[in-house]
Amino acid sequence: MFDAKKLRQTILNMAYAGSTVHIGCAFSIVEILAVLYRSHLNFANNNPEDALRDYLILSKGHGVMAQYACMHELGWLTDRDIQNYFHDGTSLKGLSDCHVNGLEVSSGSLGHGLSVGVGLALAAKRHQTDQRCFAIAGDGEINEGAIWEALLFAAHFELSNLLVIVDNNGYQAMGTTNEVMRLGNIADKFRAFGFETREVDGHDELQIDRTVHELMALNSPCPRAIVAHTVKGKGVSFMENDNRWHYTRLTDETYKSAIAELQGSSHK
Amino acid sequence: MRNAFSRALVTAAQADPRILLLTGDHGYSLFDEFRQVCPAQYINAGVAEQNMVGVAAGLAKGGFRPIIYGLSAFVPMRVLEQIKLDICYEQLPVILIGDGAGVVYSSLGSSHQSTEDIAALRAIPNMTILSPADRYEMTACMELALRSPQPVYLRMGKSDLPIIHSAQPNFQFGELCPIKQGNNQICFIATGSMVSTAIKVSEKISKKVNEKVNNIAVWSAPSIKPLNIEQVVAIAQSHQLIVTLEEHSIYGGLGSAIAEITAEYAPISVYRIGIQDRFSKFCGSYQYLMQEHKLDVESVTSQIFLALKT
Repeated sequence: MFDAKKLRQTILNMAYAGSTVHIGCAFSIVEILAVLYRSHLNFANNNPEDALRDYLILSKGHGVMAQYACMHELGWLTDRDIQNYFHDGTSLKGLSDCHVNGLEVSSGSLGHGLSVGVGLALAAKRHQTDQRCFAIAGDGEINEGAIWEALLFAAHFELSNLLVIVDNNGYQAMGTTNEVMRLGNIADKFRAFGFETREVDGHDELQIDRTVHELMALNSPCPRAIVAHTVKGKGVSFMENDNRWHYTRLTDETYKSAIAELQGSSHK
Repeated sequence: MRNAFSRALVTAAQADPRILLLTGDHGYSLFDEFRQVCPAQYINAGVAEQNMVGVAAGLAKGGFRPIIYGLSAFVPMRVLEQIKLDICYEQLPVILIGDGAGVVYSSLGSSHQSTEDIAALRAIPNMTILSPADRYEMTACMELALRSPQPVYLRMGKSDLPIIHSAQPNFQFGELCPIKQGNNQICFIATGSMVSTAIKVSEKISKKVNEKVNNIAVWSAPSIKPLNIEQVVAIAQSHQLIVTLEEHSIYGGLGSAIAEITAEYAPISVYRIGIQDRFSKFCGSYQYLMQEHKLDVESVTSQIFLALKT
């Protein structure tokens, strides 16, 4: 389950059906989500509303199609939901929305989701449950001051059940993060804020998986962070590191060629 | 009024362990009793209001009943978008306390004054807005807020206001409280600090023995959103002029809310007394600043006489 190439095809199918944007933002977090859903997120009876579930917070709401693709694998979304994406009167929006079962927060206005995730992690601590909170923030998103407020709070209240994953794809809406707002060494910043921090290749599932296991098993009161080095648009050669795929819609040609590339390489 | 708030808070927290008090490093001395009695339910979120509101939303989703305390210049003003998206969109049971509303922080200037908070919040769906006039209304408002499954903003203005009621009034969300009976000419509808001013003005005018305007009815509006339309319409239909009084901008507050209802259901003249569309100019005592904004008893009285002439 959660084959990365298949997930990317679902994303393309949605983007094509809905004539939507943000494909690049979704492609960079496919392996991260695949690993979390496959091996780490606990949902009793495959119930996204289970009271003791782990929380997956997509603070960078723009990548929501990658999460929809995983929810489709889990049977939480149907083929029809995928085919009817963005059709009039449907529920799945272009950003994470808390009214959809399986999505925890309304994000996309950036810098919101992490704080809500921090609150959920604190609630779990206070209830003394084993629930964990995995929050994915974008590198562009961490321009927001509220993110750094949330990091201070998480460290101060020793939310060891919180894992923040930064999708460090090097791009934000209008250019590279270096051009727009230089972030410097993100991992060093998280360490300075009191997080147990690791860096991974965000498209190497084995490495992501081992690192999440290692971090969550640590006997440390600190919250955890992974800086995942990713490629915006990963998986389709003409989309990789081309920021136009933050905003560009698929044509018949680009859709077919992207699908062909994903299907072709899956047979290798 | 702050004592009544503190008491209601402690009582509620003792009765319900789900209640958590979050403050953005404000409330010095106000929470002494709370911190002593319910230390585990007290969270100082630091000088970081945006995160505090998001965390409160997460806590509410996780089964807690957060109460966020801040100065109304910051909660709601600084965190309006977090209130909209993290709390109201999901209809979470979070109570927001905005302390020092209006021009209470008269000597600190516009950064700490808040005369636009009601207007800013009124347009956000699922939000309820309460504005008590004295300690009895405060206790009643806290009881309503704590029972509500929805987000509630409780606007706390000047703390040492005169007592209006002789006992705790019984009102539901939306209802106006009758304070003083009157004739069918003019009616005052006031909220928060301006209720006691409204009473004083009505007495002052009565003393001037003006046939037309003596014996003015006074209502208090502890609930600004929702507002009971039937009740406002009934008041409008039995008077010739409604005067609204609030320590808030004349745009978007109680006066606007009343005028919106009357314009649609029972057209009548509504004269709005409040902060004109401007910031405070000078520094000084609370009384001085209320004079600067023409919200003291003398200024309000002359404004009403002026309005009656036109």
